[in-house]
Amino acid sequence: MPLADPVRGSLMSERRVTFTREQIAAYAEASGDHNPIHLDNDFARSVGLPGVIAHGMLQMGIMATVAAEAAGGPGRLRRLFVRFAGMVVPGDTVTFRAEPAGEGKLDLTAVNQRGEAVLTKAAADYEP
Amino acid sequence: MIGVAGRTYPAVKIEILADRVAEFARAIGVDPRDGVPPTYAAVYSLGVTAPQLFGDDEAAVDFSKLLHAEQEFEWKRQARVGESVVSRGRVASDASRRGMRFVTFETDTTDEDGAPLCRSRTLFVVRS
Repeated sequence: MPLADPVRGSLMSERRVTFTREQIAAYAEASGDHNPIHLDNDFARSVGLPGVIAHGMLQMGIMATVAAEAAGGPGRLRRLFVRFAGMVVPGDTVTFRAEPAGEGKLDLTAVNQRGEAVLTKAAADYEP
Repeated sequence: MIGVAGRTYPAVKIEILADRVAEFARAIGVDPRDGVPPTYAAVYSLGVTAPQLFGDDEAAVDFSKLLHAEQEFEWKRQARVGESVVSRGRVASDASRRGMRFVTFETDTTDEDGAPLCRSRTLFVVRS
């Protein structure tokens, strides 16, 4: 939800999401990315993962939503960058946050329940 | 290994369909009435060009060892439901360092008038 920032007079926005296998499967369907590392625990383990993991692009999609909220709507977003720094597995709770960083710029963070950043270097530009 | 920097792929046309957009919006937790989510570019941009790269025998990107390391999108405007767009992928750089291969893959998406809509820049890391 967007929160008024009385100090800087602009908006910050935050969303906390607990990932589920159902949401990951729904994203696979919706995006067309059916890589079995997102859908099949046995396959994911066979390639050295702890089990199925969330799509990086699902994380980025939620990050974009939070950025768009802080920017004043999805139509204002002009650039978004993320580095996929950490795996997200079902049951993980990630806090996505956008904060003003100057005219038309947002600093973005995505941190899991252990305090680890799952997206790094994340930033957005928007049309003020 | 021979790098494939500079390689381009044939343009792919895709229509932005209301049902697909709504399914995508729900999967990332946003209201479909807010229009096309910015990262729906994962479908109309990277989603249609990345398979060309992965299917290119000469590029020889081993999908099973592939990590999506970084992603950037730049948008000129928000995409609209019902429009048809054209996406063109190219390998911007291809380098190996310390046994890992780093492929920067860019996709330019234009609208029906040929005007730029979105640029996607992806860093793929292929483990050896």
